[in-house]
Amino acid sequence: MNMHHDCDVLIVGSGAGGATTAAILADAGHDVLIVEEGPWIEQGSVSPFSLDQMDKQYRSGGVTVALGVPSIAYTEGRCAGGGTEVNSGLYWRPPEQTLDRWRSRYSIKDFATEDILSICEEVEASLSVQTVPGEPTEASRILQRGADRLGWKNGEIPRWMSYPEGAGATQGKRQSMTRTYLPRAFEAGARILCDHRLDKIVRNGRRAVSAELTHEDQPVTIAFRDVIVCGGAIQTPAILQRAGFRHRVGRTLAVHPTVKLAAKFADAVNTPEDVSVYQVKQFAPNMSFGGSASHPGLVALALTDNWRDFGKAVTKWPELAIYYAAITSEGRGIVQAIPGMRDPIVTYRLTKRDRDLLGQGLARLATVMLEADAEEVYPAFKGAPIVRNRADVGAMTSQFAASKASVMTVHLCSTAPMGDDEKRCATDSHGLVHGADNVFVNDAALLPEAPGVNPQASVMAVAIRNARRYVDQRAG
Amino acid sequence: MSGTVSTPSTVARFAHGLLRNELPLLSDERRQDAVDFIGRRVSVLPSFTRFGVLVIGRVLDVAGMVIGHSNIRRIVTTLPIPLLAEYPRLVRSLGFAYVWETWPDTTVEGGKPS
Repeated sequence: MNMHHDCDVLIVGSGAGGATTAAILADAGHDVLIVEEGPWIEQGSVSPFSLDQMDKQYRSGGVTVALGVPSIAYTEGRCAGGGTEVNSGLYWRPPEQTLDRWRSRYSIKDFATEDILSICEEVEASLSVQTVPGEPTEASRILQRGADRLGWKNGEIPRWMSYPEGAGATQGKRQSMTRTYLPRAFEAGARILCDHRLDKIVRNGRRAVSAELTHEDQPVTIAFRDVIVCGGAIQTPAILQRAGFRHRVGRTLAVHPTVKLAAKFADAVNTPEDVSVYQVKQFAPNMSFGGSASHPGLVALALTDNWRDFGKAVTKWPELAIYYAAITSEGRGIVQAIPGMRDPIVTYRLTKRDRDLLGQGLARLATVMLEADAEEVYPAFKGAPIVRNRADVGAMTSQFAASKASVMTVHLCSTAPMGDDEKRCATDSHGLVHGADNVFVNDAALLPEAPGVNPQASVMAVAIRNARRYVDQRAG
Repeated sequence: MSGTVSTPSTVARFAHGLLRNELPLLSDERRQDAVDFIGRRVSVLPSFTRFGVLVIGRVLDVAGMVIGHSNIRRIVTTLPIPLLAEYPRLVRSLGFAYVWETWPDTTVEGGKPS
């Protein structure tokens, strides 16, 4: 049986872009229907950063890859709330220079830096963005100690978390979309359909008229006035391409590539259910260092690039923690939907500068670990040596090649960049897709470049800005 | 995730061989659990990646019938052959992550602690 729904505005995706858009449109009286491909998972029902969470809340169980040399593993949330349910919760406002550059380079109208930062303030209040009131984890202290001893700039990054008074890092409650903007949208009358996969947007010329979806192997049709695509930087361009919108769509994927290492200390340092809230910013924006999830399974994974030499460390996993060096990349990638295939093909090409920077980043990160009293450091590239002292860092650097490294990223942007410069951009300055009358984008795909910091604040600020513009122009 | 998804036989054969070789003390039961997990993950890979994995798995399986599965496994795990080398890397990563996530006190050879 073919189920049918009607709405004023169909929002595809319920993450940082979709949830904020839904709340603002519903508040303004629009009849909003959200469709989410993944399930609704209550927070606390799965262990953070575990394989179980990857099964339930990540696309493809967390095994997704941008092909290239090297290929870059990436992850996407696939659940109500999207990536906000599964990420580290670290919050960074977009840098002012970045906003200024985007405005001028991509001809983005009505994009005053102070306006965006003002929206960031609202977001910070809505998500309880704050630092840890109590004690940080040992993994955080390690980064702080190592950077302090080197005289390198570092600091605690606030998160969207609420804490009991004086509580430590692991006692926070994530203020993700399922706890904040989605309930606000529902209170204002918005509806959500979870476990509904969008197959196709049906067009009549410049207008999109309906969406075809699948729910439990049954077809579902939704008719709408307008559609706002918020499926994230990989799914959004694929959805647009399948609908026949191809101008500058999916051609300019931008990411923050990262390389990792595991470091072993004399005492227990591993907190499986949390990550470091400290980052080292001495070399920002080109590179920054932070902590990764360190579940025992992920520790084993981090050691597999040279299991023969590293493997014995796995039994000491409580004394190990995983850290990353992230870089701003000059490379770009492509997202391409293929007819007849459910998922798009994703590719990414690192430049020579990117490859060099990854090597430098790994060496500097290893140095931080040694300064923080790491006994042994295990870099994640094929054939890597164990690093025990500064001389070993030199040996590691000489053996490093990006093509041998396990490169990954969690920050994906820029596959439908916004701006009035049609030669560069897929949408106008407020997310309306070029060539369409009623198809909008409002998620990470709009950011013209990777911002050099965690992009969620940038995504939310831009989405709120665009949603307000939509409300101003279309009566509910 | 459903536990009823069956692992493609070519992937299962390769994964059993790799885990038996690299984690020799892992019990048959645990190894089967790990192989099942690998199969579940392969079944939800993005279309293009899954297609590639299954093709490579099939090619290596056929080659293994000719020159021996252990020989083929040794070749692809030691030589940096583009694309082919990603296959054992994927299988090993998934298998090892599952083993230590599920049984964190497993020894480096896959055994139970004494």
